[in-house]
Amino acid sequence: MAHAAQVGLQDATSPIMEELTTFHDHALMIIFLICFLVLYALFLTLTTKLTNTNISDAQEMETVWTILPAIILVLIALPSLRILYMTDEVNDPSLTIKSIGHQWYWTYEYTDYGGLIFNSYMLPPLFLEPGDLRLLDVDNRVVLPIEAPIRMMITSQDVLHSWAVPTLGLKTDAIPGRLNQTTFTATRPGVYYGQCSEICGANHSFMPIVLELIPLKIFEMGPVFTL
Amino acid sequence: MAAPPEPGEPEERKLLGFLDVENTPCARHSILYGSLGSVVAGFGHFLFTSRIRRSCDVGVGGFILVTLGCWFHCRYNYAKQRIQERIAREEIKKKILYEGTHLDPERKHNGSSSN
Repeated sequence: MAHAAQVGLQDATSPIMEELTTFHDHALMIIFLICFLVLYALFLTLTTKLTNTNISDAQEMETVWTILPAIILVLIALPSLRILYMTDEVNDPSLTIKSIGHQWYWTYEYTDYGGLIFNSYMLPPLFLEPGDLRLLDVDNRVVLPIEAPIRMMITSQDVLHSWAVPTLGLKTDAIPGRLNQTTFTATRPGVYYGQCSEICGANHSFMPIVLELIPLKIFEMGPVFTL
Repeated sequence: MAAPPEPGEPEERKLLGFLDVENTPCARHSILYGSLGSVVAGFGHFLFTSRIRRSCDVGVGGFILVTLGCWFHCRYNYAKQRIQERIAREEIKKKILYEGTHLDPERKHNGSSSN
């Protein structure tokens, strides 16, 4: 989960999120250098004693400041497109979970090997145990195995919602009447948090998502099916 | 990378307050070499030409070019290293799983080299 005043990305829990973090570092370095150059140019403009107001053309400079940004954009676009296509790769998921957004809770359906369906409501502050996270913890978590490709089918029963888990690099809109799909493979066990990411009414901020990722051997023993 | 600092650990410092150069791979290395390149280029230009303004421009240009060059070089090597680590991890996993069986990668490799 995010800690207080966190500005950067959370630690990655999936290969796609690792790639996104790497790309973020790459783009941020380029942005930093461009900002540095622009600030320097601004400083020169503000401190110059030159007052020639009759400069009419500067062909060489205009060529440079057209070609250079184009090169920079290509340097940013190529890794970006690579990751975009990587997220759409077909990877034969082992498990399919349906996630349905409601006002203001999530319903999860495990229908591959049975008919497990449950709701996931945020724990109200009065029901929190010591150590629980306010506005993040839920009554029923989504329990999933690590190191297995998982397909999430996301939709909504009423208004727009969005199912997001930042540490996995996931954010998919839940649209009524439409079934969106996202896949991921988690690389390490743990409890990971997300929040609804599309304004959906008064309690939009109070319908969190909690994933409990456990080793495959333990998942196969069936803890998720013993409610 | 994004974990909050533990009570006993020193506070993380960020360049200009927001650039996390300590935890971003290659960032600190690139910025340090860029600063060094900037000083060398700018000061060297000044020594040869005695033009202050132009030397500052050369210094800024040097900073940008050296930082970018170090950054791309270091990130390329870092990406290669990550790929090698992933391959090594997969091979170790396979070795542990299949050791002693007919799928043992070492047995296959020794078998093909003896043939």
